[in-house]
Amino acid sequence: MTVLILTCEQDVTADMVVAELDGSGVPVVRLDPADLPGPVALSGEYVHGAFRGHLSAGGRMVSMSGLRSVWVRRPGVPATRAAEPSDWLSEETSQALYGMLRSTDARWMNHPDAARRARHKPWQLRLAQRSRLPVPATLITTFPQAARDFADRFPDLVVKPVSGAHPQEPPRAVPTSRVAPDADFSAVAYGPTLLQRRVAKRADIRMTCVGDRIHAARKAVGPDADPDEVDVRFATSDTTWLPVEPPPRVAAGVRTYLREAGLAYGAFDFAEDGDGTWWFLECNQSGQFGFVQIESGQPVARSVADWLAAPGPDPVPSNGGRAWLLEGH
Amino acid sequence: MRPFALNYARPAQQLEVSVPYAYDSRLQLNVLPDGRLAAHDYAVLRDLGATTSTAGSKTHFDD
Repeated sequence: MTVLILTCEQDVTADMVVAELDGSGVPVVRLDPADLPGPVALSGEYVHGAFRGHLSAGGRMVSMSGLRSVWVRRPGVPATRAAEPSDWLSEETSQALYGMLRSTDARWMNHPDAARRARHKPWQLRLAQRSRLPVPATLITTFPQAARDFADRFPDLVVKPVSGAHPQEPPRAVPTSRVAPDADFSAVAYGPTLLQRRVAKRADIRMTCVGDRIHAARKAVGPDADPDEVDVRFATSDTTWLPVEPPPRVAAGVRTYLREAGLAYGAFDFAEDGDGTWWFLECNQSGQFGFVQIESGQPVARSVADWLAAPGPDPVPSNGGRAWLLEGH
Repeated sequence: MRPFALNYARPAQQLEVSVPYAYDSRLQLNVLPDGRLAAHDYAVLRDLGATTSTAGSKTHFDD
């Protein structure tokens, strides 16, 4: 049984897992849907009540029924490297590939339906609340007056994108940023705005969860850190990620979250305040983990490989011969 | 008419960096010029920031 990894060639974080699987002797097929059609090819037939499909990439051929798991890591948009790419061809290719993969019994990390839902940050906040994880007071609004009222109640705020996406024309990044005390909220009317009570943090926490395994890492805020540098992705720091034991209630909360979200993998971000409380910020269903492993020494890639290599459901018995006989009648 | 959050936008990081490794389709892994696996050279990965949580990606915003 084979592990299928959907990602781009440059993804060295995926390399960490491929190397682990290779070391365990688990067959792997790695491909980028952007290369379909072309270097990647597929075929599937639905005949006589049965489905049979095959994928080929890099000289490897794998049967759809031989897939034990699918890891949706950093796949390109289907068909974007085709000889004559188009939106229509991408949609056709996406439907063919993912539709066939959905036809298998393979386990998903993460299933596309669960992944799509899990990207919605407002939904994340509510699920975190229901999972008994502390969530900083948050407002998402297009009402300027609601923003002003919220700022009166919570004077120290940050703003961040609702989607987590960044504008591309021109390319810009929108980090989580501290809102000035005298901010003019009029422009809230021009786009949904996410305002959140700033957590005066003493550390950032990244909890990388793979199935039931939790790898928690902590990065202390340096004594000279600029309080306006809220976003750990942009802050310059000499401190490193170190392993930390999560509080039992937080560990229970993230397990509830993942179960309710239908996720096999999730990278949780928390802010640890001065009292030691871990405040939920977000859960990235495909969050990076290589940097955590490199700095903390936690074997995240091993956990991902173990989950992907775990025995899947019993293979569906082939009924091809029987179907042919039925056809003959 | 600029949304409030864009008041805090900054130029995106330049993500197109030259890497010292290349993808080997036979191994399905990135390989350094001396034949070692890039994934096993943490110093290279750390220097490149190739496995870090990033912002401003065109295609992936789950970091």
